[in-house]
Amino acid sequence: MYVYDSIDKSLLNQRVAEFRDQVRRRLDGELTEDQFKPLRLMNGLYLQLHAYMLRVAIPYGALSSDQMRKLAYIAETYDRGYGHFTTRQNIQYNWIELSTAPDLLYDLSEIDLHAIQTSGNCIRNVTADPYAGAAADERDDPRVWSEIIRQWSTFHPEFSFLPRKFKIAVTGADADRAAIKFHDIGLKIVHDDAGELGFEVYVGGGQGRTPIVAPLINSFLPAKDLLRYLDAVLRVYNRHGRRDNIYKARVKILVQSLGVEAFKSQVDAEFGLLDPVLLAVDDEEVSRIREMFALPFLRADEIAGVRLEETFAESPDLRLWSESNTHAHKTPGYTIVTLSLKPIGGIPGDATAEQMYAIADLADRFSLGEVRVTYTQNLVLPHVRQADLFVLWSELDRLGLATPNVGLATDIIACPGLDYCSLANARSIPISQRISERFADLESQHDIGPLDIRISGCINACGHHHAGHIGILGVDKKGEERYQLTLGGQGNAESAVGKIVGPGFDEDGIVDAVETIVSTYLTIRTAGELFSQTLERTGHAPFKERLYDRG
Amino acid sequence: MTVVNIQGEVKDQLWRSVEVGEESGSLESAIVSLSTLKEHFDASDQSSLSRVGVRLTVEDDVNEIVEYAPHLGLIELVFSQFKDGRPFSTAVTIRRDYGFAGDLRASGDILPDQALFLVRCGFSTIAVPPQFSVEQFKASLAAYSVAYQAATDSHVSLVSDLRRSAVEVAAE
Ligand code: SF4
Repeated sequence: MYVYDSIDKSLLNQRVAEFRDQVRRRLDGELTEDQFKPLRLMNGLYLQLHAYMLRVAIPYGALSSDQMRKLAYIAETYDRGYGHFTTRQNIQYNWIELSTAPDLLYDLSEIDLHAIQTSGNCIRNVTADPYAGAAADERDDPRVWSEIIRQWSTFHPEFSFLPRKFKIAVTGADADRAAIKFHDIGLKIVHDDAGELGFEVYVGGGQGRTPIVAPLINSFLPAKDLLRYLDAVLRVYNRHGRRDNIYKARVKILVQSLGVEAFKSQVDAEFGLLDPVLLAVDDEEVSRIREMFALPFLRADEIAGVRLEETFAESPDLRLWSESNTHAHKTPGYTIVTLSLKPIGGIPGDATAEQMYAIADLADRFSLGEVRVTYTQNLVLPHVRQADLFVLWSELDRLGLATPNVGLATDIIACPGLDYCSLANARSIPISQRISERFADLESQHDIGPLDIRISGCINACGHHHAGHIGILGVDKKGEERYQLTLGGQGNAESAVGKIVGPGFDEDGIVDAVETIVSTYLTIRTAGELFSQTLERTGHAPFKERLYDRG
Repeated sequence: MTVVNIQGEVKDQLWRSVEVGEESGSLESAIVSLSTLKEHFDASDQSSLSRVGVRLTVEDDVNEIVEYAPHLGLIELVFSQFKDGRPFSTAVTIRRDYGFAGDLRASGDILPDQALFLVRCGFSTIAVPPQFSVEQFKASLAAYSVAYQAATDSHVSLVSDLRRSAVEVAAE
């Protein structure tokens, strides 16, 4: 894990002091709400429907057990005993008082956490593959590069007042678990023919009103030029991105309107002007950061897998859970475990303070003190010995964190929607709860196989509905909550934007519609064909027929 | 108008702003619009240029001052709204690519909380908006002693990586 040194710490302490003073000035009436708003937003503090909401940054989704404990403490001290993990790998607290927010930020800073750049038109918290440093299919640890980007982008003097927010995601594996092509900049770690480390750079992806899969604008950026290139992209965007229309202000619109080639050549021209030495990523700094992420020596255990098979024979429930909730670790004998925050009928991404404390303890016992947050709103223990799997699973089960549904129908992504969010058109959470209950039966979920259902309460698409196999979008139709259905999105390495199927549904109708889609799939699939594959083969037609032609 | 330097100290006013249409008499020590600059001055007239300043809005094309920049006495970049951060990038371009070494001034709608960013992008003076005090700018300029980026500060020598730049700013 990255540990703050004195430089990181002074910056953070000075930030906390500055915010305390800003809040004091606001409470004393020295600052109007209008003047205060940009300042609080720079510290992740939003005014929502019922209260202030604080969004805490979890850089690249990686937490230590102590940090997780602190998040639990915050939930019980400043909120109503729970927190909400978001699709940005962050955590949000929904019931915050302005007067105690400075104390909250101080408490966070004690453990190197903060809310810096979790809102505002700046470079937001960097996201990355939640299996970083653990996955068998990884080329290099994306956290190393994400941390470098975190530092570079924190209080960047030039890029803190951009046309619009700016999100960067990094993956070190081909299986894209960070949805990089739906970000303003997506970086994939690759090697060139000579074996040198670098990045494929995708620019101008995004969701919202204009969903776009980011085009590749550089197929090999040497690692040492990373910041120089990011600098060039951001400068082109800051100078030429639109500021007259909030819906056209993201870099994706600039890339589309200039054309990929023209955008690329502007970036290249700017890159050429930048000092290669000044902005070079320093090898020593890379090593310093890399060492902090290095794991202790893990002894490979080739037969743990065999023994686990024997345990499975005695515990089919463990097998079922292990099938959906674990992933291959780079060291034989270890596994990556996903803790589902999607209990049947629960609120996606919510965790109670008690759960968070318990997860921190389990991370210490079973996962070298590390926890990760996924953008699909689950948590991960990245380094679990297969030999410990049974004990861990039993503990998780007791805590309500062992629902064996990761990647399945009830692993639904949902934004806070109209229950909390002031921008929402419709509720997301109750819809996800009802769909979850509809598909509660585990065996049938496993029979249906990988299925990605996602819900957003408005076109801002925080629930990533465009990228779901089944996407649901809350719309407002003459004051009524309605739901639009899209099919065919992909949030993985394939990256595709779903298409609208037909007229929208009301609250009951949308739940039935999802069931109809799934039952149609079960009828028409060929042996072994996944939902996404069936959809690709048949297109919308058979689904549409069943959805709308019921006489 | 009160102008502060990068320490937040009030600076004596050597310059006066001249609006379009008011250019009667000498333009010595005047800050003029881009169109006035082009109309009244030749880019090769180094000695006159050193005693004139130009005011650029976010709508002006900064490329038009390339020839003038190395010789100008002052360049003022006007923020139309504090949220519109284009002048930050324009400042970097002017300092880094155009070789401008004179007084780079920020004016218009600026928050005290942006002061340090301005300085780090190469601005050397800030026109304090009437609704804020000099003290607010001074406090904000002193709020941070470290920075992660190698930037274009006029008072920090350029350094070559994240960590070292942070250390050098801290050591000031
Ligand atoms: S998608 Fe809309 S409703 Fe949902 S959290 Fe985002 S802004 Fe709010």
